[in-house]
Amino acid sequence: MDDLAYGTRNKRGDWQPKEPADIAPIWHFPPQPLAVLKWLPHYFLPYDVVFFASAVAWWYWVLPDVEVMKTLAWGWILKLFVINTIALFAFFGVFQLRLYTFRSQGTRFKYNGQFPADKRSDAFWFKRQDVDSALRILFHAMPIWTAIEVAILYAYANGYVPWVGFSEHPYYCAFLVLLIPIIHETHFYLIHRLIHTPILYKYVHSVHHNSVNPSPYSSLSMHPVELLLYLGMAFWQLFIPSNPILALYALHRAGFGAIPGHVGFDKVEVGESGGIDTHAYIHYLHHKYFEVNYGDGLIPFDKWFGTFHDGSKEGDQRMQARYQKKKARMNAKAAADAAQQTNSVSN
Amino acid sequence: MADWITACKLDDIEAEGVRRFDHAGRTFAIYRSADDEVFCTDGLCTHEKVHLADGLVMDYEIECPKHSGAFDYRTGEALRMPPCINLKTYEAETDGVEVRVRV
Repeated sequence: MDDLAYGTRNKRGDWQPKEPADIAPIWHFPPQPLAVLKWLPHYFLPYDVVFFASAVAWWYWVLPDVEVMKTLAWGWILKLFVINTIALFAFFGVFQLRLYTFRSQGTRFKYNGQFPADKRSDAFWFKRQDVDSALRILFHAMPIWTAIEVAILYAYANGYVPWVGFSEHPYYCAFLVLLIPIIHETHFYLIHRLIHTPILYKYVHSVHHNSVNPSPYSSLSMHPVELLLYLGMAFWQLFIPSNPILALYALHRAGFGAIPGHVGFDKVEVGESGGIDTHAYIHYLHHKYFEVNYGDGLIPFDKWFGTFHDGSKEGDQRMQARYQKKKARMNAKAAADAAQQTNSVSN
Repeated sequence: MADWITACKLDDIEAEGVRRFDHAGRTFAIYRSADDEVFCTDGLCTHEKVHLADGLVMDYEIECPKHSGAFDYRTGEALRMPPCINLKTYEAETDGVEVRVRV
């Protein structure tokens, strides 16, 4: 495909889509019914159908009988950990291998013209972003993911929380299926703002932001505290009357679903002339500019709170205006601190 | 009082390049523009104290190798997040052979 028909490339080799990123059209004003109708299938397609199907598959083919899950025993928990890990690396690996290892579409539709593997950096274990990310997934993300999953299943199996059946309450369960992406977006936005506060950013979230040029394995390359906060969004299913399959869906949506924002390409090419939109641009801009796009646009929190960046010149100007204010504040403080230091030395 | 000292040969720095220079327990970055002008700044990014000499020079910008923050190396002004605090700059000059900085 000719990516220049869809965007532009600067002299650094970074590709930018012609169309600016947008929030979900249900929030457009004046209302745009046609745009909403066109967008509606994307509420579930393509990603959420996969994550819901995987939750169902886990329930029927991976997890043991409910009686077994009433007890915390190494056998079923280790099996779950191994299957989760294999599944995660298989899913992320499809994108990582194709786009970053074999580079099968080169830099076509790639936001950042560089490949992380071409740049060694002290920010990463073994100076390699891909190795660092894979190890963090293996040793941090998957144990925490599995622990959260086990805690949820254990709570349901033992009757500590209400278990709503699909056959008894089909409409309520369907409502919950619709609600889970909204809970996800709200939870993600809130914890994301939280971990961008200075102390938490320095000690927790900076690990994830080391991937300025994210790749699929960056998706869950996080500090353990961030993983607990992020994947912990599945715990909401314990506080509202729900069902363990829906809790698994919420967890898989967070875990497997972290990849769209980190794939680094605007389209994944399929065949000679086809391509699947990744919807990665909003979160890519967050990795590039740090203090924009804390949410993913399903609910326009960033628009409401003035931190939305759609990739356009106007979006850039708004960001720069905030940046100039912050710079002036911080440089004034740095100058005052330096003057104080000079005075204390001369006295 | 800052002194003028010879930091390196001009040819030690590529055009649109940067070189690290350590002196008296401090670290600096010395830049050579495409037009063979030379400039000098503090050597560490004001964000996370990473050596800027490992970064990418393009036009009059130095990009930090860690988070891709950027500075104008002529003025030290921070241009792109995450760094917000400007770099300190120092006088630099060249006779076409040697580069001298006043630090």
